[in-house]
Amino acid sequence: MSALSPSEAAEFLYREALLLDRGEFDEWIALFTQECLFWMPAWRDDGTQTEDPDRELSLIYYRGRRNLEDRLQRIRSGFSVASAVLPRVSHLISGVLVEEASDERMKLSSAFVVNTHDVRVNRSHAYFGRYEHELVLHDGEWKIAGKVIRLLNDTVPTLLDVYSI
Amino acid sequence: MSKQFALSDLVDDRPDDGVFRINRAMFRDQDLFDLEMKHVFEGGWLFIGLATQAEHPHDFFTGFIGRVPIIVSRNGDGELQCFVNACPHKGVRLVQKKCGNARRHVCPYHGWTFDSSGANKNIKWKKGGCYSEAFDSENHDLAEVARFGEYRGLLFASLNPDVPSLEEYLGEASKLIDLLADKAPDGLELVPGRVTFTYAANWKMQLENCADQYHFTSTHPSYIRILEQRAKEEADEVVKSSIGASDFWTENASGVTGGTMSFDHGHVLNWGVMPPSSAIADFERAEELAEKFGEARRNWMFNMRNLTIFPNMQIAENASSQLRVIRPIAAGLTEMQTWCIAPRGESDEARRFRIRQYEDFFNPTGMATPDDTVCYEEAQLGMAEQERPWLQGHARGMTATVEGGNEYADMIDVKPARSVLSDAQLCDESLFASYYRAWAERMKEVVA
Repeated sequence: MSALSPSEAAEFLYREALLLDRGEFDEWIALFTQECLFWMPAWRDDGTQTEDPDRELSLIYYRGRRNLEDRLQRIRSGFSVASAVLPRVSHLISGVLVEEASDERMKLSSAFVVNTHDVRVNRSHAYFGRYEHELVLHDGEWKIAGKVIRLLNDTVPTLLDVYSI
Repeated sequence: MSKQFALSDLVDDRPDDGVFRINRAMFRDQDLFDLEMKHVFEGGWLFIGLATQAEHPHDFFTGFIGRVPIIVSRNGDGELQCFVNACPHKGVRLVQKKCGNARRHVCPYHGWTFDSSGANKNIKWKKGGCYSEAFDSENHDLAEVARFGEYRGLLFASLNPDVPSLEEYLGEASKLIDLLADKAPDGLELVPGRVTFTYAANWKMQLENCADQYHFTSTHPSYIRILEQRAKEEADEVVKSSIGASDFWTENASGVTGGTMSFDHGHVLNWGVMPPSSAIADFERAEELAEKFGEARRNWMFNMRNLTIFPNMQIAENASSQLRVIRPIAAGLTEMQTWCIAPRGESDEARRFRIRQYEDFFNPTGMATPDDTVCYEEAQLGMAEQERPWLQGHARGMTATVEGGNEYADMIDVKPARSVLSDAQLCDESLFASYYRAWAERMKEVVA
């Protein structure tokens, strides 16, 4: 198999986003490798982002899909008031660039806006920033081995969960 | 002219009758909020940061005291000073950056220049300005805040000069800061990465929640279930939890599970028994700390401790270690500035562990805090004016609270004004009275 073409790469990201928009979380998680990186760095005071997740704080830092599974368990548990009425979300992705490509590994970058509407309080918000995806070929299918979310508007109004970025 | 408030309409404080009640108006009234900003936040001591945020000569960081922008600057002689961050000329905020290092600060509007000790070094085209003698006789330096002090690396300031000394303001609660500072022989620092979030509710929701043991099992069951499952599986990819490794919060815990302490000037502590274990990042120093401070004091360093220094600083040592600064924006809107606070010089492994635990529990992007903030917002809705204005949320522990301390307080030589020793399910709420009595003291000129 060869690397995805730029348009195929973009479609891969759009389909990932569509699963979040539709709340198809099992299918979304299945896109990730077992050992995946899922990382949203925080910002230092001086306007640069944190770079070393073991010495600096992240907004989210997970190594291993199991962590995403825990997130989903909480969202679906019926015991989290923040997840009781799930916000509606719509991911817009553009400017998809193939930064590196081989037959087994690709690096993509893209810009995102996620419009959210918190039904509970009738409040809309847009999170925006950039994604950096690392895809690997796994049993003939492209999987997400790494997803870095560079959130630019990092003042969080009340809550931000994995579906809203 | 804003409306007048009577204290007895807001705080129903009758200890002899076993009554302590708060009126819902305390959380929703915007006129009252404006008075709070002036008298609570701009009228007394506030926490403003850590000395390590401006460590070297000419380092600075900026922030707010109430609505007033401030800059904390270390001058060329290495002394920390705190100024109003506004140019005397036209009031423009002088420094826009959150932090940095600068010998000179130049106002972006007309170029007036100040050094790191706040002294005016240049008024642009002064000679040609045809200024009067009256102008020349004015002070053109940055305005220094009325009171500024440091306690063990924690910085506090007051815009109002008519306040007790910092030592008196912190009082016996300073010994709880000592517990934190003694655990960090090389000093405390903020882990890089500031996390800011807002919630659409009054600042006092956060003030109370930090000291509210009662909510934990009912607000966070989704998180507790994950902890239980993780404990069974012991998977390597997920972080171990200090809360999961203790039982002080469970309904069937036996013996003394913790308690509360209240101090003068509105400071409170909510604490729980948390034995030293490998589920706590400081465990690598457990033996060293016992040798240095004795076992009883060492054990207190590992206990769950949520400390509030009234009105805006909270240090939560439970799931990890968090510094929170409360910044009220409006009666129904609050900004929270949060950091992971950590001892310098801990091992790479301890630091990594502390950070992972922190993100899991404390972040607004984590698995616990959003369930709190959503509850604050739901509470704010319920604070609307109604026939039964008095809340019933400050009554637990009313018959358990005693004057002074107890044998646990004695272990660390703390003499609180009041204290409660808890067994399972007590979850004291009487400590909140300390907040509101301090609030009433700061508001006494306008709410009597």
